[in-house]
Amino acid sequence: MRSGDMKRWLLSVRGIFLKDVRSELRTRYAVSALVMFVITTIAIILFSLAHEAAPPEVLSGVLWVVIFFGAMSGLSRTFVMEEERGTAMTLQLLAPPSAVYFGKLLFNVVLVVALNAFTVILYLLLVAGFVVRSADVFALTMFLGSLGFASAATIIAAIIARANTKGTLYPVLSFPILLPLLVVVIDATRSATEGAPLAEVGGAFQFLISYTVVLTTLSYLLFEYIWKD
Amino acid sequence: MEFLGHYQLYIVMLIVVAIWLGIYWYLFRLDRRLRALERKQQG
Amino acid sequence: MALRVTLGILLTLVLCAGIGFPLSQNPQHWYELPVIPGLEEKARLIFFHVPTAWLSVVAFLTGMVFSIRYLRKRDPLDDLRSSAAAGLGLTYCILATLTGAIWAKFNWGSFWNWDPRETSIFVLLLIYGAYFSLRSAVENQEKRSTLSAAYSIIAAITVPFFIFVLPRITSGLHPGSKGDPDGAGPVLQFTMSPNMRVIFFASLAAFTLLFIWMFQLRVRTGKLEMERELQQAP
Repeated sequence: MRSGDMKRWLLSVRGIFLKDVRSELRTRYAVSALVMFVITTIAIILFSLAHEAAPPEVLSGVLWVVIFFGAMSGLSRTFVMEEERGTAMTLQLLAPPSAVYFGKLLFNVVLVVALNAFTVILYLLLVAGFVVRSADVFALTMFLGSLGFASAATIIAAIIARANTKGTLYPVLSFPILLPLLVVVIDATRSATEGAPLAEVGGAFQFLISYTVVLTTLSYLLFEYIWKD
Repeated sequence: MEFLGHYQLYIVMLIVVAIWLGIYWYLFRLDRRLRALERKQQG
Repeated sequence: MALRVTLGILLTLVLCAGIGFPLSQNPQHWYELPVIPGLEEKARLIFFHVPTAWLSVVAFLTGMVFSIRYLRKRDPLDDLRSSAAAGLGLTYCILATLTGAIWAKFNWGSFWNWDPRETSIFVLLLIYGAYFSLRSAVENQEKRSTLSAAYSIIAAITVPFFIFVLPRITSGLHPGSKGDPDGAGPVLQFTMSPNMRVIFFASLAAFTLLFIWMFQLRVRTGKLEMERELQQAP
């Protein structure tokens, strides 16, 4: 691509990203619903734990359950909202598919990182027994895991946006794809609670990065077929 | 089933083989009907 | 025709040999199978569990190949082939999970343990379930074919991870996992006796032939349905 084309493409990506951000900030329904969802889920967990001490290994898994369902609530909006508002076709005409994909991927990355940060802070504050001993391992796990989540969730969102029972279909389709990520990330979080050093968890981080790269590449290649009518 | 003793395994084997032959028969019939329908399509 | 007859005879023989051949401590005759300590009679399951599990993966990959072809050429026949392969794969996957659970109950105590290999066959089951849920949720035929093709390609990425990578890096119950003192397990290391090996590979061949035949039957049925719809349209 010539540099002029590249610049125009990047501007498209940025434009789509900002459009999504602005429309979400304008109404704020979706964002507040997501925040309430996370609060409610953690509250339910605290309630069902009822002062029983659960070991940190279990709590690591539970954290990612909360994150998974939070992601399932929030990450499909970027495509579903286009279908609901009838703007999908206009977007198809205005921007090349790759720009649409990366713009919306960027939106989902920002959304999931913010949402997970919020979830983690609440979790650390409220769930007694979840003590993180290696902060660096934990932070890196959270960040790389969030990236992986966004990469998988975005392409599945594009797929279900054209289907009928979007809400229930989204977790059903996403779960098998996210499972490898979940397995590795829960294990890494567990290591972080046990105080493992950075070097020990290196394999997991390698995996998380390659998962994100593979999924993003594959999504980029497939997106055009999914998006075009 | 205790009294069957040594023959238990052979009974299981015969039942399984019988089920398999039933499935095979069904598939074979399906194959034949498909071929008849395909010939009708051609003609 | 010859293949169908071969399949019929072969699978019958495999069933007879696999289930019927007696075990003995010191196999003297060709029809005697060795006693594997700890497994004994239940070892017979290996003739049926491994081929069905293997074929469910093959079916999935076949479906993926046809999905790729569909996305390139938009031939509805390729979508038909893809979903036929997936349907068969689902059946084989259910069989593999069931035989696996029976094996697990006899050998390791409970029907399910979240051992990495068990988890991977379960994930395959979930993928098939998701694939068919997606198909039933889209009405437009072309959109349905495109979306399910895209999904099966994406899902295909996770399969090698579960089948090859995960069992080696986490310890598990299956032979071949990290921590198994016997190494890669009876299949990969060929510690089965020669006559067991014959039965095993014959079973693999027989189930593969069965898969191919059923696949063809499904595709032929689908083709006839498609042509009938075309003729009925005014």
